[in-house]
Amino acid sequence: MKPLLETRKLTRFFGGLAAVNEVDLQVAESEILGLIGPNGAGKSTFFNLVSGFHPVTRGTIAFQGRDITGMKAHEVANLGIGRAFQAATLFMQLSVFDNVFNGFHRHYREPVWKAFLHSASVRREEQRARQKVKEIIDFMGLTDYADRKAQNLPHGHQKILGVCIAMATQPKLLLLDEPFTGMHPEETAVMMKVVGKIRDSGVTVVIVEHNMDAVMRLCDRIAVLNQGRKIAEGPPGEIARNPEVIEAYLGSDEEEP
Amino acid sequence: MNRGNPKKVLIILGCVCLLLAFLPVFTDSRYFMHLVIMTCVNIMLGLSFSMLFSTGLITMGAAGFWGIGAYTSALLVLKAGLSFWIALPLAALMTALVAFVVGIVIVRAPGVAFIIQTMVVNMILVQVFGHFEFFGGWAGLLDIPAPNPIGPITFTSKTANYYLILVLLLVNILGFYALYTSRVGRAWSAIRLNARLAETLSVDIFRYRLAAFMISAAGAGLAGSFYAHYFQTLEPNMFNVFKSIYVQIYSILGGLNFYILGPVIGAAIITFVPELLRVGKEIEPIMTGTVLIFLVIFLPGGILSLPERIGFFRNGPMASSPEKVPVETEKKEGAP
Repeated sequence: MKPLLETRKLTRFFGGLAAVNEVDLQVAESEILGLIGPNGAGKSTFFNLVSGFHPVTRGTIAFQGRDITGMKAHEVANLGIGRAFQAATLFMQLSVFDNVFNGFHRHYREPVWKAFLHSASVRREEQRARQKVKEIIDFMGLTDYADRKAQNLPHGHQKILGVCIAMATQPKLLLLDEPFTGMHPEETAVMMKVVGKIRDSGVTVVIVEHNMDAVMRLCDRIAVLNQGRKIAEGPPGEIARNPEVIEAYLGSDEEEP
Repeated sequence: MNRGNPKKVLIILGCVCLLLAFLPVFTDSRYFMHLVIMTCVNIMLGLSFSMLFSTGLITMGAAGFWGIGAYTSALLVLKAGLSFWIALPLAALMTALVAFVVGIVIVRAPGVAFIIQTMVVNMILVQVFGHFEFFGGWAGLLDIPAPNPIGPITFTSKTANYYLILVLLLVNILGFYALYTSRVGRAWSAIRLNARLAETLSVDIFRYRLAAFMISAAGAGLAGSFYAHYFQTLEPNMFNVFKSIYVQIYSILGGLNFYILGPVIGAAIITFVPELLRVGKEIEPIMTGTVLIFLVIFLPGGILSLPERIGFFRNGPMASSPEKVPVETEKKEGAP
């Protein structure tokens, strides 16, 4: 089967430093892939490359067999790659509902000139969109918070809302940047359930995460980056025993002052 | 986002219009009518500023685009002999066109760069108006004819001009309101509140901002066309950066989060209060400036944020009043 996302020799330099160095990675449809590695291994840069925030220095990215190298962030998003950020990146001043509604932008079809008329079809479209947004909020378990302002949510819920907004774009591939960071165990459990549900609904998920326990339990496959290079790839059990991986983690500990 | 109830808005707007329509009956002061007309023109400029603000851009060039509209219209009538009624839409179109060309270059850089670039564009425009004889030079254009009569209606009196600008203002407000409540308006506010996030939601920031730049310029151009034929004299310095700063003040004083009501309230106050207090033209900017400084410190949300600030109407129609005034922090990239 063709992979959903495929990078070939993906490379990104910052000055003379290769943040991501010749990374070949394939993400199959409907899997949860974990991307782990010590600090500065290039995980977030990898996300920024795939989602079009950073230009690629060398190599290619293909999504559904289509070359998306060099596309802008909004174009990538429009193809169906959703993304939730590391720090809860939300429309803080808006309600949870409006946050998710903004995520629906890609699917909210309304010719601009029709807005001037406030015609029945515009109202129907709006009704349809609101219904859909409500469904997504229910799906993500934020129903009780729909009217709250995003800035008034607890941290864990803000992170779930971040995922929720990304889900509103109805992506085929969802990139989650450290979804469990800063969460206490209960919130982590909720988030794990949410991610599992997302996968079960047919969305492919790539997770960058430090929380080893969550990654090991959640992911079907794990890829390990170290100093910009991919050093291992395989099922969680295998990765946990991989000597190179263990060394990378322990080694990085020694390097830290 | 602050969609409100379209029906309710229309009813309120209808009532206000009815009231305004009878305004000339209650006064025969030409001076008062002049102030009202200027208020309407200023509101249109404030609306243009606020539309760009709704996308997270702050312009210092509103007066320049106002000038493009005014000069285009005046020249089309004076030199090409067109009717005002044809020059009016053409002026708006011309302004949008200039905004398109300028916007392609400057809209990409948000924040301080955009503020300075719009300011420079405004300065250049004033120089162009003044330097070239074609635009009447520094002496300006004189004897611009009043709008052509329609049947028995002539546009020489204040009252007739008042009705004309009222209609233009109404069209402007309704158009902008429709945009703000549409998908486009939602995308604009998404860009303003969090440009990075908006991008991952497949909003093309550049295109949406360029559209806002063009539409807001067209609004200012419309106001300019009217102004040229109402005032009948144009002079380059009417459209200088100083005026652009005033336009900002209209929106800030009223409330930056209120893209329509803000400029309405702000422009009315700034146009009327100094006149009513009989402040001299020399002292007036000092006074306005002082008021603005205190306003930004103590009431950054503008006058319309007062109800929320005091805590009234918490469950009333004002409860949904939106966000705090943010100065957009547009982080380029996340830390790796």
